[in-house]
Amino acid sequence: MKISIFRYDPERDSEGRMQDYEIEPEPHEAMLLDLILRLKGEDDTLTLRRSCREGVCGSDAININGRNGLACITPIRALGERAVLRPLPGFPVIRDLVVDMTQFFKQYVSIKPYVVDPGPMPDKERRQSPQARERLDGLYECILCACCTSMCPSYWWNPDKFVGPAGLLQAYRFLADSRDRDTKARLDDLDDVYRLFRCRTIMNCTEVCPKALAPSRAIERIRLMLAERAL
Amino acid sequence: MAAPPSRVVFLNLAQIRLPVGALTSILHRVSGVLLALAIPLVAWAFARSLANPEGFADIAAWLANPGVKVAAVLWIWALSHHLLAGVRHMLSDVDVGSRLWYARKSAYTVNIAAVLIAIAAAGAFW
Amino acid sequence: MRSVLTGLRAWLVQRVTALYLLAFIIYFIAHFLFASPSDYDTWRSYAAQGDVKLLVLAGFVALLLHAWVGLRDVMLDYVKPISARAVALPLVAGALIAIGLWMLVTIAPLR
Repeated sequence: MKISIFRYDPERDSEGRMQDYEIEPEPHEAMLLDLILRLKGEDDTLTLRRSCREGVCGSDAININGRNGLACITPIRALGERAVLRPLPGFPVIRDLVVDMTQFFKQYVSIKPYVVDPGPMPDKERRQSPQARERLDGLYECILCACCTSMCPSYWWNPDKFVGPAGLLQAYRFLADSRDRDTKARLDDLDDVYRLFRCRTIMNCTEVCPKALAPSRAIERIRLMLAERAL
Repeated sequence: MAAPPSRVVFLNLAQIRLPVGALTSILHRVSGVLLALAIPLVAWAFARSLANPEGFADIAAWLANPGVKVAAVLWIWALSHHLLAGVRHMLSDVDVGSRLWYARKSAYTVNIAAVLIAIAAAGAFW
Repeated sequence: MRSVLTGLRAWLVQRVTALYLLAFIIYFIAHFLFASPSDYDTWRSYAAQGDVKLLVLAGFVALLLHAWVGLRDVMLDYVKPISARAVALPLVAGALIAIGLWMLVTIAPLR
């Protein structure tokens, strides 16, 4: 099959170019990442991020045939005869398929991704009922691969001001956590023109999430929390 | 640390495969802008038709003009798409059809229904 | 400058006006389909009724508010230079207010 890969070396190129490779998948190669790694074995200038190679770490998120996904859990046979691989859209490219995620993580940190409770530390753990814990299902599983945020037009136009779907999913994950005591400040922080309300519920985020999470639904729930608080 | 040079960003919309909901969404925006641009015309036609019998006759003749009819069909498409997509959003707000499978179906429905309504309007005009 | 219509408030205004406009437009489509005004006198006497005047005036207020929130959203996404925004935003707001006043002086005196 043919694999077209975006190549860009900031020290030599002023813009990216596509490089074509011919490669025949071998029987033991099931996922797209296997092919890319074999290509890298032949051409070690090809640059990408990968670590766990099984959809847990989130480091090999790239744009595959126009759609964001994890190379390590994208089956080769789902690709057909041709795969076009590009870096995540909307993020500055460091080299080839590697993007700069600084802005993405800034937005993530800005929503305070940790339980806030100013009360005294309990002797042991902070207890949570099984029912309250269940409310975090579909929220905590995010691996911060940035597939969603990089596919979000609202983030493309305002990456410095709009938190983006990954950050907002985590914002809701802590709003929904029975142990968190910071609800008011969290909601206040999101109630402005940009941080939450740039979302137009396009749902590209939910479309591409490799963990089948629904950031768009989390965002809708935050808006409902804000509305309920105001009315 | 020196500021990094401005880097290449991949954002070629022709090379990004947008899901059907994205099409519904951008058409919601396009139709909204079209409708907003039409507000002065609608206001003018409304005021003129109420001013006096000559004004009413002017607007009736204006609406029968083929060019205006074409614009009116476009306007009806924009209104239909904007209303249907808006209803879809408001239902999604309260958790009706917000799951991906339903959202895809409703996106297709909105995109197609608005075009069908515009075709029906065109049929009624000619 | 922080606008009054931001965040949750803008979002709520967009939805409340949307609901009003939806009902308003469905009512008017029905009215025009089943009782299309064929001449000036019918049209004018219809439009001059007190409750119709109120409905239409409220309709224009809802429409202009809805258009403002929507157009501002579009401009915040695509109009990047602050200088261009400083021109575009007041221009659009002014145009919408002018249309609102125009409709007020058109509708209010109808008898």
